[in-house]
Amino acid sequence: MNFQESDEQLMLRNAVATIGQRYGHAYYAEKAREGEKTNELWAELGRAGYLGVNVPEAYGGGGMGITELAIVAEEVAAVGAPLLLMVVSPAICATLIAHFGSESQKERWLPGFATGELKMAFAITEPDAGSNSHHISTTATLDGDSYRLGGTKYYISGVDEAAAILVVARTGSDPDTGQARLSLLVVDRDSPGLTYQHIPVEIRAPEKQFTVFFDGVSVPAGNRIGSEGDGLRQVFFGLNPERILSAALASGIGRYALERASAYARERKVWSTPIGSHQGISHPLATAAIELECARLMAQKAAWRYDSGLDAGEAANMAKYAAGEAAIKALDQAIQTHGGNGMAIEYGLADMWGMARLLRIAPVSREMILNFVAQHTLGLPKSY
Amino acid sequence: MCVKQIPDPAAPAALDPSTRNLVRDGKLIMDESDLYGVEMGLQLIDAAGGGEVTLVSMAPNGETNGLRNALAMGAAKAVLVSDPALAGSDALGTAKVLAAAIRRGPFDLVLAATESTDGYTGTMPVQLAELLGVPSVTFAKKVTVDGASLKVDRQTEAGYDEVACPLPAVVTVTAGVVEPRFPSFKGIMAAKSKPLETLSIADLGLDAASVGGAGAREEVVDVQQAEARQAGQLVTDEGDAHEKVIAFLEDLKLI
Repeated sequence: MNFQESDEQLMLRNAVATIGQRYGHAYYAEKAREGEKTNELWAELGRAGYLGVNVPEAYGGGGMGITELAIVAEEVAAVGAPLLLMVVSPAICATLIAHFGSESQKERWLPGFATGELKMAFAITEPDAGSNSHHISTTATLDGDSYRLGGTKYYISGVDEAAAILVVARTGSDPDTGQARLSLLVVDRDSPGLTYQHIPVEIRAPEKQFTVFFDGVSVPAGNRIGSEGDGLRQVFFGLNPERILSAALASGIGRYALERASAYARERKVWSTPIGSHQGISHPLATAAIELECARLMAQKAAWRYDSGLDAGEAANMAKYAAGEAAIKALDQAIQTHGGNGMAIEYGLADMWGMARLLRIAPVSREMILNFVAQHTLGLPKSY
Repeated sequence: MCVKQIPDPAAPAALDPSTRNLVRDGKLIMDESDLYGVEMGLQLIDAAGGGEVTLVSMAPNGETNGLRNALAMGAAKAVLVSDPALAGSDALGTAKVLAAAIRRGPFDLVLAATESTDGYTGTMPVQLAELLGVPSVTFAKKVTVDGASLKVDRQTEAGYDEVACPLPAVVTVTAGVVEPRFPSFKGIMAAKSKPLETLSIADLGLDAASVGGAGAREEVVDVQQAEARQAGQLVTDEGDAHEKVIAFLEDLKLI
């Protein structure tokens, strides 16, 4: 048993934190306010190879794992610039293509993930099929050497900045149960018949959410990842990295909030002593610090299990749950510590609320995680 | 490139009560002011189209943490001199050790920071040049190599001097004159397999009596708290702060 990160992992943490601090929360907040993207930060991290740490070396990546990718995501989030698309593009899409893609597909897409130049969105959620992937109705029908894709996906992050979307589509149905047989298709974002519509949300982030409409979109059969009908198994393979990266984002936000709060509580005096000397301020912050550190440890365990080829489902779900709860609690307490200043734009806390709150819902809700733990960890009857 | 590994400046520093020297027992990190010299060295190699940056450091307890960072940035190899006999070294003692380490092989240019962030004597690099028998140019803001000669823009209070000198030479690099690169992920992963040699003073043929505490000619005889700075003047802006600032500057005859 060893809880010490390697020299390389620590160096990676430091290097990413140094880059992140040069941009900081003010940069992120301004981009969000102006409706722009964090392109400069993304590009700088990409050039240094940090966005492709988990891409195999043969395709220009770092050859490491989700542990390292989570370090990158956490450290950038910890300066107050959580990069939501890290959860999607390198964590889900690159993982799935590296694991299930053909040689030519890997050569086509992985070098772009390695440098961060390729951003790929991931589309699974539908208006009538949220957490229940068996009900997916977006359908792809093979017609000669291409699929015809029809249907609607929603709450898809970053469609406006992605070159392509990895779409989970129904390519058949189980004759007995009617459940979907799924396949993964890489769809060019600019394909004819593909349109997308912004969903306004109360999240102050540069990354936007979209409904995506596929109206007879033609997708080359060569863009199908893995074998037809094997999509559900593939998707599950990509969901653990998604959860671990979400936990890393949440952990980073929690660290950012607690750092701000403790700095403020050390300096701010209302009477003769800094407010941090009052237990009404210090104890809730200490509680948040404990819960955050426990969540970080669980996320590290989940990443380690995943990278070691062990089943990571339980740990990844627990980490996502714990980090989502810890982040919002830390942020709420940081705002409370600041009093009225907690709501001021200048202090950069209240504008993180939407993102922190989101991480309790997405990419898998707290309730679905509790269902999972009840059933798989505790052996309780399935609730749905 | 001479690299110093120092206690984290963000952590509170401690002095040994008996020697009044800085306590260096904990984990050491690379002195940030060395980042500029490492970057300068890497840029010179890029410009020359060949050569390599070798790091030379002296630190207790075989510390290599700070060297790994510079190796990850792109330095080719590192030489660390670590020996219990070096405890209590003064600047000249350090210069003797680094000179002995540098003399083991051929070199074109020795770079160093202008001063370290923990000791601040700023004397080691010129002592090193003297011991190596080569010229020294301090406070470089720009360095170019033209064949066997060196051109340095040397920062002064009024501007800068243009200095030319033959190679090899020792040059100290002013902090902030170049933008240090971040180690790429490939650089970080490659750093582990780069050569890092640890030497004792016996390996360098140095006499223990001439270096370390035994050979030190400097002694810290007393340490005093720095005087607390006087509180500044606070101007509350009630719409006329700019006028008060102007009046303040006029009083000082600055405008």
